[in-house]
Amino acid sequence: MVGRSLPGWLVAAILAAVLVVAPFVLPTIGANADMLSRILIWGIFGLGFDLIFGYTGLLSFGQSAFYGSGGFLAAYLLVSGKIGDVFLGLAVGTVGGALVGLVIGALALRRTGIYLAMITVAFGEMFFFLENSPLSAWTGGENGLPNVPKPAIHLGPIDFAFNTDWRMYGFIAAIYFLGFILARRIVNSPFGHILTAIRDNAPRARAVGHAVQRYKLAVFVIAAAYAGLAGGLEGVLQGYMAPDAFTFDTSGQLVMQTIIGGPATLFGPLIGAAVWLYLRSILQVVGFGPAWKLVLGLVFVVLIVFLRHGIVGGILQFAGRRTTPEAIPTSSGAQGLHLVERVAERPATRGDVVLEARGVGKRYGGIIANSDISFAVAEGEIRGIIGPNGAGKSTFFKMLTGEILPTAGRIFLFGKDITGNDVTAISQQGLSKSYQINQLFQKLTVRQNLNISALSRTRGKFRLDLIRHVDEVPELNADVAETLRLLSLTERADAPVSELAYGEKRRLEIGLALGTGPRILLLDEPLAGMSPQERADTVKLLKQIARGRTLVIVEHDMDALFGMADRITVFNEGHILAEGTPAEIQANPGVQEAYLGGVHAA
Amino acid sequence: MLNWGNFSSQLFNGLVSGALLALISAGLTIIYGTLGVLNLAHGALFMLGGYAGFVAYQSTGSFVVAVVVGAVFVGLVGVILERVLIRFFYERPEEDQILVTFGLGIVLVEVVRAVFGSLTQNVPAPAWAAGVTSLGFMIYPTYRLLVFGIVAVALAALYLLLYRTRLGMVVRAGIEDPTMVDALGINIQRTFMIVFGIGAMAAGFAGIVNAPIISITPNVGDDILIECFVVVVIGGVGSFAGAIVGGVVAGEILSLTSMFNPSYSAVMLFAVMALVLVARPQGLFGTR
Amino acid sequence: MSYFEAERINSYYGDSHILFDVSLRVERHEVVALLGRNGAGKSTTLKTLMGIVRAKSGTIRIDGTSLEGQPPHFIARQGVQLVPEERRIFGALTVEENLVLAALSAPEAWPLDRIYAMLPRLHERRGSLGRELSGGEQQMLAIARALVREPKIILLDEPFEGLAPIVVRDLLAICERLAAEGQTIVIVEQNLAAALTLAHRAYVLNNGHIVFEGSTADLKQAPEITSRYLGI
Repeated sequence: MVGRSLPGWLVAAILAAVLVVAPFVLPTIGANADMLSRILIWGIFGLGFDLIFGYTGLLSFGQSAFYGSGGFLAAYLLVSGKIGDVFLGLAVGTVGGALVGLVIGALALRRTGIYLAMITVAFGEMFFFLENSPLSAWTGGENGLPNVPKPAIHLGPIDFAFNTDWRMYGFIAAIYFLGFILARRIVNSPFGHILTAIRDNAPRARAVGHAVQRYKLAVFVIAAAYAGLAGGLEGVLQGYMAPDAFTFDTSGQLVMQTIIGGPATLFGPLIGAAVWLYLRSILQVVGFGPAWKLVLGLVFVVLIVFLRHGIVGGILQFAGRRTTPEAIPTSSGAQGLHLVERVAERPATRGDVVLEARGVGKRYGGIIANSDISFAVAEGEIRGIIGPNGAGKSTFFKMLTGEILPTAGRIFLFGKDITGNDVTAISQQGLSKSYQINQLFQKLTVRQNLNISALSRTRGKFRLDLIRHVDEVPELNADVAETLRLLSLTERADAPVSELAYGEKRRLEIGLALGTGPRILLLDEPLAGMSPQERADTVKLLKQIARGRTLVIVEHDMDALFGMADRITVFNEGHILAEGTPAEIQANPGVQEAYLGGVHAA
Repeated sequence: MLNWGNFSSQLFNGLVSGALLALISAGLTIIYGTLGVLNLAHGALFMLGGYAGFVAYQSTGSFVVAVVVGAVFVGLVGVILERVLIRFFYERPEEDQILVTFGLGIVLVEVVRAVFGSLTQNVPAPAWAAGVTSLGFMIYPTYRLLVFGIVAVALAALYLLLYRTRLGMVVRAGIEDPTMVDALGINIQRTFMIVFGIGAMAAGFAGIVNAPIISITPNVGDDILIECFVVVVIGGVGSFAGAIVGGVVAGEILSLTSMFNPSYSAVMLFAVMALVLVARPQGLFGTR
Repeated sequence: MSYFEAERINSYYGDSHILFDVSLRVERHEVVALLGRNGAGKSTTLKTLMGIVRAKSGTIRIDGTSLEGQPPHFIARQGVQLVPEERRIFGALTVEENLVLAALSAPEAWPLDRIYAMLPRLHERRGSLGRELSGGEQQMLAIARALVREPKIILLDEPFEGLAPIVVRDLLAICERLAAEGQTIVIVEQNLAAALTLAHRAYVLNNGHIVFEGSTADLKQAPEITSRYLGI
């Protein structure tokens, strides 16, 4: 990504300068207007692709479907005369690409990883065959559509046609510039930050309250729009819309260029396209013509093995920048209400049941993990859950958060039946969990991690806020600063997670759950793997967090838990064995038996 | 208005191409099931088998030698690729694995193009299998019958390998729990290498066997790869049975729909795939 | 030098430090119990001994041969055999295939007849797929897989977990028989009664540290240890 220390206006100015100067400098090394225009078109195509692949982690091998759809739609409308203005035609093509993206995305995004790759390949090919035959009356089949007009402006006294190579370059460069600015705004928006969280750890993004599928579909449609625009521009540039816009090669070339240039940099695809097109023409000149793709293929493989961040990424790493979204400046002071205090302002009416399970059970075929659990926690309480291995504690926790569906019984949150709600909904309703094994956003900084949680609190599970800067989200900085202070991580706010010590990561793990502003916090073995000092510190932290909140803690460290909890629930063999104060539980012979297996110290 | 002769001929064509697809997809799915890697170079391996066989045929004039060389050569290439490149990617994210095999596929295709050029090469069917055979109700090219027979035997051999040999037992256990296999004293890394080699060999074998039917070019494997994806999505990733059933289904869809309108057959295939995705995302036999 | 010994093992999951300078020794023909609550590090210890988890420091030796840093298949071939928690038998293979596979790399494998004689239930079910077996039968198979390799030492990880008392009784009898026949065993178990019945000596783990080492008789005489580290 563009260096942290480079502000937006500077990047825009540099880009504009490069685009303006290029026509004067690059022809000396053999690049002509047509080549530069093509590079820019691939760049526009790649802006969208980088958003879905570089930033969101969705590897699609079928972007040609949108490129071709937008391109042929625009070309058809312009060639047939149904639309006279090229600008309008391109706009329609862009929208057309986006709509196709919506349809395919709704189907393809149900799967991830290899399935997504395979499905997008297949859809891309499907569109190629559709273009070639069934729709050939409109698309010209194998021959494509010739006579696509050039854009022109007829406004009052202005009568300007982009009918020379360099004018076309100017036109396309302007569009690239605008497209880049928009893409950059998206990346720096709250929406964009959530995309990087999805790439990093989609399940946790879901668990902190974001509707991940909607975000994926939204960015997929945006990428399809960029593709459609690029396709239309190809037709206009060439004066001819070629069927190979729809081929798998086109999709593959886009992927390769992005990797070569560097994903998650936005202009990586542009650099990659420049390398690709320029290298091809050079190799042809020196007589290596047919081998250009072999050379590029080898470069591609080598980069994947050794330099996964591509050329730009490699340069940025070398220069000490990181490939993460812009960090939020630490300036913000004490504006906005503080997180902990705000929650504590709610009257702690002890006695009100806030979380309840009635007759809850979970059975897997013949195996009963939980049976007939009746469990109620009062507001402000600290409840401990203990039990031997396999007692069903984790399963129960997962039913409370919505990760697993109970096979019997109902669960109530603040009196409302939440049985069957998904993790995102339950998180939005005020219940959050901290995991036994850290589920952090590994590639983000501490602050960026906490932002992800906080953003779901202020914006709900989905918001299409593409344009505003993440800084502009009210109270975000103040809330996160407060959470950092509580976790004693203020000094480490801008460190990436990979550099944290284990104890710091565990605290951040709790912080991610805390950042959603829950009234009820579930903690799954928060002390796991900690040294005695870390345990003491974490216990102190938990007591602080407990103020104004309700905590339910699963733990094996009895000393620590019994020193914190108001009441203890004991699980054994899938059901509740006993419940009471720590003293009562320690004195309960049935509980001793469950743990010690029938042997009492003689 | 059904041309019966045409129909039965296309039905058989579908079986032949379906059987080939099943074999290639079986290789792809075994590799994915055991190693967890989606091999986007699989189409290129298919192509490589055709070319290796072609070279063998040119120098020996024997079709049988060509088939053996094609299969064995690609099997060895598979083993080398696994040792030299693929195994470093087991710990890396899925997307990186996809990208590296994709790049590998491109490199293999371009190397072949650099050596042989882009024009099609011809591997004729062996003389003893040329011509047509009368099946009573229709006349059908002999070589295609032979292909069906050979591929059926190859699939059976693969099945026997998986379900009746010790190696197959190790592979099946490795698909389920590779760590435990290692803890029982079997070097699971070496098993991965062998599995990749077998999967590659299946593709290479199919490539040379198919050569007399469709002439070989460097890009002959591109469409095959995409069709394999459809087969694997329909049949279920990681399932041998799914590859076979999916292969035959795909082959028949392509063949029979081409009777009505050849330009629609590919679209139909992808439409069926989309349908499976919506109705039963894990495929017919898949569990993941 | 003991038959099997681990010295000052430090194991991590990622960067979570689980085992702190854990040392234990097992003499030939001994049954040693490794006790402790959940999260104490008992399973991690066995997995480290088997090479599934790599120790960052420390040594492991069997009969003088160094095992630290080696992959599991090497350690298995040196005669160490793990019967993991959750059994991890191959559900897609039959009972017999599970046993044959286990015997493949063993220098001196038991003939199948000998296994079937000891565990006739497995003989009855030899054609069934692993996933068709009951919990107790799966555990039997997991133990049989270890036995078939004529192991120098068996590491048993929570063999009685999740099984009905009557099944536990049967399995316990099998384990007692193995111990009586001189099989060297390390057993991790939460079922204290069962563990102490089998074992000669015991170690207690707490939060990754060894806090007790002694004979089982000594442990039974130390209620402050059992209630503090094993009970609540």
